[in-house]
Amino acid sequence: MKNDRLRYLSHRLLAAGLTAVLLHLCLLLFLCAAAKDLGGRWWELAAMGAAGLLLLVCWTTVWIIRPFLRLEKETRLFLEGHAPNGLLREEHVFFTPAGRQTWECLQGLLDSSELMKMNKRQAQYLALQNQINPHFLYNTLESIRSEALIAGLTGLAEMTEALASFFRYTISKVENLVSVEEELQNCETYFKIQQYRFAERLQLTVECDSAEREEIYNCRLPKLSMQPILENSIIHGTECKIGTGHLKIHLERTGKLLLIRISDDGVGMDEQTLARMNGQLQKKVRAAASQDGQTQGGIALRNVNNRIQLLFGEEYGLRVFSMPGVGTDVEILLPAITSDRDVPNKEALRSL
Amino acid sequence: MRNEILRMDQVTYETQGVTQLDNFSLSVWEGEILGLVPVNNWGVEALLSLLTQNLPLRYGYVHYNERLVNDWHSHRRGGNRVSVIRNESCLAKDLTVADNIFVLRPGFKKWHIRPRILREQLTPFIQEVGVPIRADAYIDSLTTFQRFVVELLKAVVAGSRLIVLENADAFISESELAKLQEILLHYAGKGISFLYLSAHFEETLRFCHRTALMSNGRILKCFDLKSGSADILSLPCVGDYDRWIRAHLEEPVREQADRPMLELRALCCGNLQDVDLRVNAGECIVVQDTDGCALSDFLAVLARGQPESGQLLVGGRPLRSGLDRSIAIVQERPTETMLFYSMSYMDNLCFNMDHRFPKIWLSKGIRRSIREEYAPLLGAEVFDRRINELTNRQKYDLVYTRLLLQRPKVVFCIHPFKKAEVSIRSHLWELIERLLERDIAVVILAVNLADSLALADRLVRLRKGAVHEVYRREDFTRLPANTPWLYLYREKYSNMERKVDMYETFRNQ
Repeated sequence: MKNDRLRYLSHRLLAAGLTAVLLHLCLLLFLCAAAKDLGGRWWELAAMGAAGLLLLVCWTTVWIIRPFLRLEKETRLFLEGHAPNGLLREEHVFFTPAGRQTWECLQGLLDSSELMKMNKRQAQYLALQNQINPHFLYNTLESIRSEALIAGLTGLAEMTEALASFFRYTISKVENLVSVEEELQNCETYFKIQQYRFAERLQLTVECDSAEREEIYNCRLPKLSMQPILENSIIHGTECKIGTGHLKIHLERTGKLLLIRISDDGVGMDEQTLARMNGQLQKKVRAAASQDGQTQGGIALRNVNNRIQLLFGEEYGLRVFSMPGVGTDVEILLPAITSDRDVPNKEALRSL
Repeated sequence: MRNEILRMDQVTYETQGVTQLDNFSLSVWEGEILGLVPVNNWGVEALLSLLTQNLPLRYGYVHYNERLVNDWHSHRRGGNRVSVIRNESCLAKDLTVADNIFVLRPGFKKWHIRPRILREQLTPFIQEVGVPIRADAYIDSLTTFQRFVVELLKAVVAGSRLIVLENADAFISESELAKLQEILLHYAGKGISFLYLSAHFEETLRFCHRTALMSNGRILKCFDLKSGSADILSLPCVGDYDRWIRAHLEEPVREQADRPMLELRALCCGNLQDVDLRVNAGECIVVQDTDGCALSDFLAVLARGQPESGQLLVGGRPLRSGLDRSIAIVQERPTETMLFYSMSYMDNLCFNMDHRFPKIWLSKGIRRSIREEYAPLLGAEVFDRRINELTNRQKYDLVYTRLLLQRPKVVFCIHPFKKAEVSIRSHLWELIERLLERDIAVVILAVNLADSLALADRLVRLRKGAVHEVYRREDFTRLPANTPWLYLYREKYSNMERKVDMYETFRNQ
């Protein structure tokens, strides 16, 4: 604390002292130039004075104005809902010791592990909607399946089996990272259940370059990243549409990124709603903290987005593209990692 | 594994406190031709600036060639190897093709320039693109398309991984566009990516692997139309056009008096050869210069008023000079080229009326009555505004209303839809129709038919400076398959199945 104080004071003193010295120097030179008769070397003194003034301007810009503007910008972004992570890492922003402590405290309050727990709770809420004892649910579903098989109702048995698999995947260990293959399987199971309701009105295709299938399927991503989005596409996109709804999951990998695009050709959304939704996804802190639920269907997207950003960083997450009457694309941007050890924020992963 | 050449992620960019790009996300893959259709021009200039330079961002990340080059945390500076090719050529006109491509390239360090070596170096590139361009030809002597190709080659030689083509379809002809498509596909195959900015969604279908729709500085959606996932007519930028043209076709044909307003008799000038043309009062014809070599000569004749041989008659009389008020020319991008920003709205509106009212500048009464007459049409508030305070739409209104007041016999419109936003283009149709309703003959000079054809009563196609083909409206069905909105004409005149044909047209392109 004492060192911080000294460091801050030395920086300020250095900046202020040098500013004062340069200012005095400039004044002195100008006064000399003015005092001398106009012959002799007055122009040299004037030139030196001008150079000193220029130096003073540069010095003030670099050491005082720019850090101030940087701090201003970061504070404004924080007020708009962005995380303050970058600010404390910034070398050229000099806080007073108390100021730094305040920011650190604030960051502690918004600690990613806390947020992760909050999101986990939200995910569980999304998955269950109400508190059902998982074992009771599996056992009951298995009993129904047995009864259906005995009665020769294979359709019902298959449906029950799909439902049981879906619940098992959804309820157990929400926090884990899973492979793309597992997540895709869960999506297909979920889709199978929905197909009992929608029959031919709903079609799902999964697109992936066959040469890269194995690499892509081995990539890791937070559990329940894709299914809530698929669910959104069905409920808010294609369910309201007249005619067959086409859903598509497109997977692609670059050197560093894994891109998953979930598209529907449903009703889409207007430009204002789209802008609002993308705005909420951009602002991590506020989106996580707010529970207003004003945007129907937005909770699932925000939850997935927050979990991805807390684990991998704010440059990853969801991007939404949509047009009314045309459909919606939700793009999931993830780092292409194949092991849980590659997760940048291991603390958030451990805290679950 | 595919490489991403460009990824702009959640970019918010402001200039002077105005948000130009708002949560803008776009990616371009290696070897991809990505179409970008701006519904309005908001943010387009900012996007082009951000592609070439790493300017401070309000928020977001820019990756170029899989490397983070700009982000909101840091203040990186410098540029990216991205080339932008637009109508305004950035080539040095007084230098040769080889000099422009090699000598003006960043990183060229030779002290002694040997033209023979430059020529040899250029030959494989010229052969590759298959466009006859001499290495030692001066840029001034090239056609628009050749200049365009030279810029493209310059970008390729400079090592740009991403090349932006802005509104190419507005200034090169159809046959040249087909050639351009071949060239782009060739270089896309070699891993160079292209961002093809166009105002026409249907044009991007011809070129692009994907097309993104942009509005108010945001990407609304990307379309992979080859997969057939989107109904083209449900897109606002296409659907509005479709509805407008359909409604236009349903309207009764305008009655045209058999009074020739413009007559060209065996007109020769420069590349123009024996052009015979007659345009009646209230008739709209589109003159399409298919190879882009005659348009400048046509304009030169209008400016001089005297052809090398043949006759140019306006209202049955020879044209005296370019200053003759019986003709009017609407330049390209008239809101930039035809308005005087230091003059008042009223002065801009009236300054072509002196042949009708010689005392207009002395008489406040005439100007007051003009104001009262046109206030319902233009809006009462615009008369007190300065020109730079007008919206784009109001500026177009001003230019075309000036023509109404001038009352010429013929109006020549040069690429009238160039650089106009989607919403403005449908308004421009209405403005041109207003001229036609006043029995003014309209000649639209275009190299591309995308917007003009819907207005045309006749289409005259020039090839090598001579009239090659003339189509009446009912003959539009015979136009080549890549003609925009062809399905509507076929539907109207040939009773063909609309939707099947529409998709066939789009897919075949």
